[in-house]
Amino acid sequence: MSHVDEGTLHAYLDGELPSGERAALESHLAQCASCRAQLAEERALLERATALLGSTRPAERAVPPFEQVRRAPRRPWHMRTGFAWAASLVLAVGFGYYVSGALQRRPQPEAQPLATTQQNRPADKAAASEGLRRRKQDSGTIASVTPPPDANPRSAAPLPLDTVLRIGDTARPHEEAGVTAAPAAGAASRLAAAPSAQRADTRSAENLVSTAWPVISRGKAASLLGDRPVGVPGLATRGIRSSPTGDGTIVVEQALDSKTVIQIFQRPASSAQVDELGARERADRVLARYVGRLRVEISGPVSTDSLNKLLELVEPLP
Amino acid sequence: MPDDIAEVYRNTYPALVRFLYRKVWDAERAEDLAQEAFARALVHRPENTRGWLFVVAANMARDEARKALREKRHLTLLKSEPEVTESAPEESIDANTQAQRVRVALEQLTPRDREALLLWDAGMSYDEIATQTGLARGAIGTTLARARRRLVEAYDGGQEGGQHVARG
Repeated sequence: MSHVDEGTLHAYLDGELPSGERAALESHLAQCASCRAQLAEERALLERATALLGSTRPAERAVPPFEQVRRAPRRPWHMRTGFAWAASLVLAVGFGYYVSGALQRRPQPEAQPLATTQQNRPADKAAASEGLRRRKQDSGTIASVTPPPDANPRSAAPLPLDTVLRIGDTARPHEEAGVTAAPAAGAASRLAAAPSAQRADTRSAENLVSTAWPVISRGKAASLLGDRPVGVPGLATRGIRSSPTGDGTIVVEQALDSKTVIQIFQRPASSAQVDELGARERADRVLARYVGRLRVEISGPVSTDSLNKLLELVEPLP
Repeated sequence: MPDDIAEVYRNTYPALVRFLYRKVWDAERAEDLAQEAFARALVHRPENTRGWLFVVAANMARDEARKALREKRHLTLLKSEPEVTESAPEESIDANTQAQRVRVALEQLTPRDREALLLWDAGMSYDEIATQTGLARGAIGTTLARARRRLVEAYDGGQEGGQHVARG
């Protein structure tokens, strides 16, 4: 074998030389000091180039949930910084307007225009808080726009604008709303975007009273899903329950610690559902992904970031 | 199949962002483009998702660069200001950092050498690089050897030049 060219040496160092050529090269190297020296040089060059290139890596960031990819076309990048604050303001005001509108859809002798809410209406915190709680509990109502029996006349009053704006910030369940085990994304916004009232009812049942879901065995869960149920490896599984509506949804409850339980909702994803859900999720911020053939959502009383990270860890339970 | 794309997404997304970052030099924009590429993959369902993604990503990065150049020219005309010749859109890059010097060195490579190097760094095999670039498989080793040598030389040359200027 004649002396080896640098391309072959790089292919060898990269582990990309076909096995026949590799054997020939290695036997040549064993005899040829000059080629061994060149190999050492090329190795140093390769390591140097790799290190240089490595210094231009972007800052490592968590991989966003795959669901994010399904959302509406992305904004041109240059609009982001310039208009981000304006967009958030528009969203906040828009959401406030929506909330106000939803409340005004309840039976009222005279609908109050939003502007009047900025004046000193009975800015009763309890009333506002009550309104918020009612919205969470009656979230099926919002989806179907069916007026509930109006037990508390004060709750029918539009919320003061500042309260309305604060609701826009409610990315996580508020203690004051008295909701436990609520989803990571606001129940109201999630349900408002649900395409069917029946689906919305199911969701509120899942998130608020999942104890009403019957406990099932792992085998039963696997037969409902057509696949092994998924969860976060290493976390104790407290229980597996199935949806009382029989829609094939199950929830795996796992303990982060003695007090904190996360819920991992899962069901088989058909392609039709994928598209329908894809459309729905453009409107909210459900933390969801697909694991194999399962569509998986997560919720729990920890930060959205933590839920996101936990969701990334989810895999079929052993 | 969407499930396959979800799997490719988890395995390939960071590499695709890295690949794009070295083309657009803006981390956020690289992420946007990577996600856009995956969104397109969901629509097109290509056979070889990974390879397809890198081709689409490279095209998008090139289109973005052209658009940015057009916009810059347009702005320059509007403002009647002399065109700024420095090609650094990322304000945060400190001209003195090593990353900036590597970037300058990288841009001195021929497009083909640079592409092969970036694809290798993104985890592509020689076979995949050959498919992407249209080079013969047997030429990939030589191309990478040349690209690495030129990168190191350009970097060292730039550094010596910089020190010379600093000393002078």
